Amino acid sequence: MSAHPPHKPNVLELFLAALGSPFVIVGEQFREIFKVFGLTVQYAQHGRRRWKEVWLQAYRIGNESLVFIVCVAGSLGVTLVYQAGLQAERIIGDLTPLGGLYLQILLREFGPTITALMISTRVGTGIAAEIGSMVVTEQVDALQMSGAHPVEYLVVPRFWASVVMVFCLTCVSVLVSWLAGLLTALLAFGVSPYTFATLSFVIPGDVILLLMKTTAYGIAIPIVAGASGLSAHGGSEGVGWATTQSVVNCSLAVLFLDVLLSGFGYLVLLR
Amino acid sequence: MQVTHVEVPRDGVRIRCQGVSKYYRRTAVLDAVDLEVRDGTMLGLIGPGAAGKSLLVKIICGLVAPDEGHVFIDDIDVTRLRERELQALRMRLGMVFQNYALFDFMNVGENIALPLRMEGRSSETSIRNRVAEVLEQVALPGIQDKMPRELSGGMKKRVSFVRAVVRRPPIVIYDDPTGGLDPVTSAKIFRLLSDMKAQGTTSITISHDLDGIRPLCDQWLLIEHGKTLFSGDTSAIDQCETPYVRQFWRGEPA
Amino acid sequence: MRLTSVLSVPFAMVGRRTLDIATEMGGMTLMAGAILRRLFPPRVDGAELMRNLYNVGVKSFPIILVTGVFVGAIMVIQAGLYVEKYEATGFIGWGAGFATLREVSPIMIALMFNGRVGAKNTAEIGTMKVTEQVDALRTLAIDPVSYLIMPRFIAMVVMMTLLVVVGDATALIGGAFTSQFLLGVDVQLFFRSFVDLIHLEDFLLGVYKAITFGIAVGVVSCHFGITVTGGAVGVGRAVNDSVVASAIWIFVLNYVVTTLII
Repeated sequence: MSAHPPHKPNVLELFLAALGSPFVIVGEQFREIFKVFGLTVQYAQHGRRRWKEVWLQAYRIGNESLVFIVCVAGSLGVTLVYQAGLQAERIIGDLTPLGGLYLQILLREFGPTITALMISTRVGTGIAAEIGSMVVTEQVDALQMSGAHPVEYLVVPRFWASVVMVFCLTCVSVLVSWLAGLLTALLAFGVSPYTFATLSFVIPGDVILLLMKTTAYGIAIPIVAGASGLSAHGGSEGVGWATTQSVVNCSLAVLFLDVLLSGFGYLVLLR
Repeated sequence: MQVTHVEVPRDGVRIRCQGVSKYYRRTAVLDAVDLEVRDGTMLGLIGPGAAGKSLLVKIICGLVAPDEGHVFIDDIDVTRLRERELQALRMRLGMVFQNYALFDFMNVGENIALPLRMEGRSSETSIRNRVAEVLEQVALPGIQDKMPRELSGGMKKRVSFVRAVVRRPPIVIYDDPTGGLDPVTSAKIFRLLSDMKAQGTTSITISHDLDGIRPLCDQWLLIEHGKTLFSGDTSAIDQCETPYVRQFWRGEPA
Repeated sequence: MRLTSVLSVPFAMVGRRTLDIATEMGGMTLMAGAILRRLFPPRVDGAELMRNLYNVGVKSFPIILVTGVFVGAIMVIQAGLYVEKYEATGFIGWGAGFATLREVSPIMIALMFNGRVGAKNTAEIGTMKVTEQVDALRTLAIDPVSYLIMPRFIAMVVMMTLLVVVGDATALIGGAFTSQFLLGVDVQLFFRSFVDLIHLEDFLLGVYKAITFGIAVGVVSCHFGITVTGGAVGVGRAVNDSVVASAIWIFVLNYVVTTLII
């Protein structure tokens, strides 16, 4: 008894398929991500706690990303303050609020988001590459046969590590950016550090928004990267593809969450 | 290694596939495959490369879902189970992968201990003892601290074997257990398979080494391009007149 | 452990890191030189160029579109907070648009581009290197740089620039809608303040940056691709390093271009 193969599609069906295929592909990716998200939340609550593994992952995330983030945060701080200072000099002529406003926008937006994008790049590729190569060498199958669930065993430790480390790295990044800005303001515009270093513009809502953003990003990155890694197939080319997909998806996820949370901040927190 | 006792179905069929099909872009990679494996017997799954054999055993283990058909292990429909239930069922299974699939981020001891840890029933000490015990049985004493990349192909195959059977599962699947190994090591592996069978394991073996598995298997399934070309016992395949089957069985070039 | 050997560990680490960075910088310079030599006169394979323009540009289009919309929305929200505080809602178009065109849009688009195209490029070239296809080209008397790298490089510079322009446009649209629906500022008012106060130079600054970023991502991704060693794992590592190095260059060059142009 033979099976019934699917029928050959006609031109109309091919056209509709071509039109709809990007949606289908994106939709499948979304489904994968939500599935991993659901499983991660479930296993994070009820699964085994492997704190040693979490510590190891946290160390790797921090170690790999620290120098990178310091470089980027520093150049960003210099650029932003330099640009803002020039415009302020030209238009308003008064540079006293520069430090305060800079710190505020750093806490609200640039600090967490840029740090998260950098971590997406570094750590997102790392996680996807690791998990992806385990998938194509059948190690994930072997995990399942040994009784371990891939999400519980591979994703959840990285999840805990990421939530903590994104916050820590954001703090470092904000600090470095702020210091770089301070130095720029001093050396380029002669603004005294005392004038620059003011907390008068920062409201509690800013800090709450920062915490919300770092937590959201910290949750999103390992899950999206893990989903990309777990959907790898096809040998080492497949690993390359999963890695690329991971960076793009993590970055888009960060931006999307940024829109949501900034909007929330605008409507609720920062009035 | 004594086998874990589990409820065996009344008709003695421990693994059953009914009409299993899998498609890849409109081609049938597996086409309505049926098979039955009885308790304590070994099925030889043979056929040319890329015929769908590895895919079939992955479907049996629930690692891949078939597009059509059902798989029963001890009368439980694998295709209907959720992941949690699958995990419980997999306690009865062991799988030796074609490319070893050893976890490259842990050493040999940890690789073998993982299934025991996941079972969650044994203490640290008893796990360690068990690992040492099984390594002794495959003539690889004391390599617990080595990493997989430091091992030769034959050693990796034996570690992979040991990891699959350390929980003493009643059903074991061997995917190409002697692929790429020299004759001496291959003989050692076949002896291991024979010992497992003698202790009552039900198994499926995929292999290109027909001489090696001929004495071990009771039933045979020959698959080519996803289609079943032969299904039956050893005397039946010896007498089969289908040209391709004859050629394959006797190792004659086309 | 002896005290001197313990004390020497951080120095050894710093030293090794510095050497690694120096090696990569040297390699990137050599790659840039090799590309430059083949630009005048142009030695490029036409068919490969077309193929790469398609792959790089057309396939990245949707992602850049979405990024642009997000960036526009974020900038309007952030600017909106200040614009409301100082009761200058009429200036929202300028406030958001200024920073977006000059700074945020080029950087964000470049980072996305880097993540998608840069990584893919390094992966492709790297896989070809590891599977000895690059050597095969050489034995056929085909220059790998002309055949493989030049088309990709040119495609990346051209497309990065065009995509930044596209990104600017979608950011504006995204920003306009956000200002309408979230801030309650009419779309027309948004565009009016934008058109009145944003000059061509602001837009062009973004374009110059785009060209520079395109060159950076091109050189870096090709360099890391062609120098891959060590099989599939090496390719993964090269992709990671390439994306990180490009990102750093993007931020550094951003500063350089801003300072030079102003």
